[in-house]
Amino acid sequence: MRLELKDVRHVYAPGTPFEVEALRGVSLAIEPGEVLGIVGGTGSGKSTLVQHMNLLLVPTSGEVLADGVDARSLEKRELRRKVGLVFQFPESALFAPTVEEDVAFAPRQLALGEEEVRERVRESLRALRIWDLAARSPFALSGGEKRRAAIAGVLAMRPEVLILDEPTAGLDPAAREELLALIVNLRQAGISVVLVSHDLDEVAEVADRVCALHEGGVRALGTPAEVFYGEPAQAPATVRVASLLKESKPEIGDPVRFEETLAALKALPGV
Amino acid sequence: MENPGEGTRPGGSLAVSCERASFSYPGSERPALSEVSLELRRGEYVGVVGPNGGGKSTLVRLLNGLLRPDSGRVRVSGRDPVTEPFEVRKHLGVLFQNPENGLVAPFVEDDVAFGLENLGIPREEMQGKVAGAIRAVGLEGYERREPSTLSGGEKQRVALAGLLAVEPQILLLDEPTSMLDAAGRREVLERLEALRAGKTILHVTHHLEELAGADRILVLNEGDLVADETPERLFSDAALLRENRLVLPVVPRLALELGLPGMLRTPEGLAGAIIKRTQSGTRTG
Amino acid sequence: MTTRSLGQFYPVSSPVHALDPRAKILATAVFVAGLFLIGSTAGLLFVAAALVALVALSRIPAGTFLRLLRPVLFIVALTILFQVLFSREGVTLLEWGFFEVRSGGLRQGFFLALRILLLVSSAGLLTATTAPVALADGIEDLLSPMKRVRFPAHEVAMMMTIALRFIPTLGEEAEKVKGAQAARGADFSEGGPLRRARSLVPVLVPLTVGAFRRADDLAEAMESRGYRGGEGRTRYRELRFRKRDALALGVTLLVLLVGILL
Repeated sequence: MRLELKDVRHVYAPGTPFEVEALRGVSLAIEPGEVLGIVGGTGSGKSTLVQHMNLLLVPTSGEVLADGVDARSLEKRELRRKVGLVFQFPESALFAPTVEEDVAFAPRQLALGEEEVRERVRESLRALRIWDLAARSPFALSGGEKRRAAIAGVLAMRPEVLILDEPTAGLDPAAREELLALIVNLRQAGISVVLVSHDLDEVAEVADRVCALHEGGVRALGTPAEVFYGEPAQAPATVRVASLLKESKPEIGDPVRFEETLAALKALPGV
Repeated sequence: MENPGEGTRPGGSLAVSCERASFSYPGSERPALSEVSLELRRGEYVGVVGPNGGGKSTLVRLLNGLLRPDSGRVRVSGRDPVTEPFEVRKHLGVLFQNPENGLVAPFVEDDVAFGLENLGIPREEMQGKVAGAIRAVGLEGYERREPSTLSGGEKQRVALAGLLAVEPQILLLDEPTSMLDAAGRREVLERLEALRAGKTILHVTHHLEELAGADRILVLNEGDLVADETPERLFSDAALLRENRLVLPVVPRLALELGLPGMLRTPEGLAGAIIKRTQSGTRTG
Repeated sequence: MTTRSLGQFYPVSSPVHALDPRAKILATAVFVAGLFLIGSTAGLLFVAAALVALVALSRIPAGTFLRLLRPVLFIVALTILFQVLFSREGVTLLEWGFFEVRSGGLRQGFFLALRILLLVSSAGLLTATTAPVALADGIEDLLSPMKRVRFPAHEVAMMMTIALRFIPTLGEEAEKVKGAQAARGADFSEGGPLRRARSLVPVLVPLTVGAFRRADDLAEAMESRGYRGGEGRTRYRELRFRKRDALALGVTLLVLLVGILL
């Protein structure tokens, strides 16, 4: 699915003393099968933005289009099935007596047959590698396991676009790497992933394109190299190293990922 | 009833010591901490790393008396935190992971004063200490703010101020930045850096780069203390890092792969080292 | 995102805000009791005028204050309606089938409605002019004589302070959990009352579990900071009963007395 936001504005609490314009005309598109990274500091509007993608929030003005059709005209449940949203610290929404039951919640809301529900639960648990935890209580799991259970719950809807808001927050480095590997797998399976993250290094590793937000507006949108080299002071460590060397060693190019940066550095004469 | 206890000597005395301390959570199959022995001297800055579930948080809670060891001995400035928790907590403060759940009062000022109130400090003395602590964390002007309106970094700084007001000699930091975003982490780490002098610090974290300035780093894995190294040695030991699921951040990793010292933390440092090497034309290390 | 103030506290500086919370709590308690001793509408109107003057003195904008009364408007309207439709006193003013609108009903409805409004307004004025921390301190102080009969005054005050501290946090958490479940296809507005109640389970369970977890974390943090109950504890905030507090209490009593006599 191609998800497009056209000039989306969002004003919280309009007409009250607490009025604040969180989004100021944001336009971007999520192409099928890509990983789009969304970066920006606190207050940039990242979380507000992604809640428009499944219409949990409705734009004050502007449009949200799913495959060219106004998302508001679609049945809410259908839209939310196709565009899955995983909040930050999603484990705070686990509620069922077993992991299996919890993951089954979303497919059941879609009124699928029991057999279909079970199949999807199996699929999701396997994808997140928590199949052996199916009968456990979600409240008895470790932090990383809970995180995976929560993501499995959304994945069970078989969304075409999966939005992850700070999915690695609070995880140890090993769990983090597993999650990034999952994102790559999802993309390979044809699912678009929107990765909202304050960790530029992880965005650098997996994103096909990057959207940088600043105070509710799009500061930059393009390939990771375009966005990050455009503003090296707010870039992942790899880009910062490379751009410091560019002046004296322009042959270094525009590497973004770890491996390509390492290769570029090794290729420098004398290193 | 002073009990200087074993293991304390004036000047360079032991701030913290564990002797074969073990602890298992009720109902769990394996111990959270297994015969761990360690010592922290006054003024040392020691890091603690290791995979989740390895015992790091358990260690913190044994040191401040929230948990009692199943066997072995724990001493803080010569005192047993289980039998003398109040005394220990006068000199030992803990900064916890969750910025939200450590703040108890509806206003910043009152929360910072909470520890002082508990210790029965007279009101006249409290004003100065509270103001000083708020200043030390850079939150002047925030006195009447409500915790729910603060950012993660600000909340942790309030929590830190609350600890500093009591003027502890020992600080335990239990993953204080893991729930914060990049800006919040920077805020909190800057303040910790500035306030380290003269204190004994035990810093539990997943972010190895936060421990570059540490005197030593302890590695806890599955309840065992598996290593006690300087940052230089730990950062360059690829096998040790891998075995304990420790990941160096990007810059040190690049440095190591290029045969440069793993202690290079900043992009500027790495870029500088690379330029120097290309100029000298020889490979070192 | 927004910097909403806690509950109804309106942080502005005024002579009313500066009063000792104990004086305000006592005055409100006396006021509420006294309201039920006033028998005439004229008395209530006099007291109402005094309250209006007090609200003006407190520098709380009229709009904000009236918004505090919104939750009771329904009850007030219901009271008036009930009196108007069913009272059999006084002169008949209107007839409509079975229902008669009599002057007695109007008068009684107005009286009762005014009393309800005054009750809510006095409580509202208290919370609007007194910071929650000060309120808790004031209550703890007033209740402390009861410590002699083993009443846990300190613990009650501590519970209140903590509850006040976490209300906005829990509110945000509830919003977030609702959003997360909605993103999984939950719909909280479909079906009859039973169905809707059941649809809240995926929100209430995590909130409850989360609240217990918070409580655990908070207890650890409090203990780690040396908390061991009220024994030997000093207080950061000072409560000083001054002449103007006694004056405020005196004026309240006077106003009530006049109201009762009218």
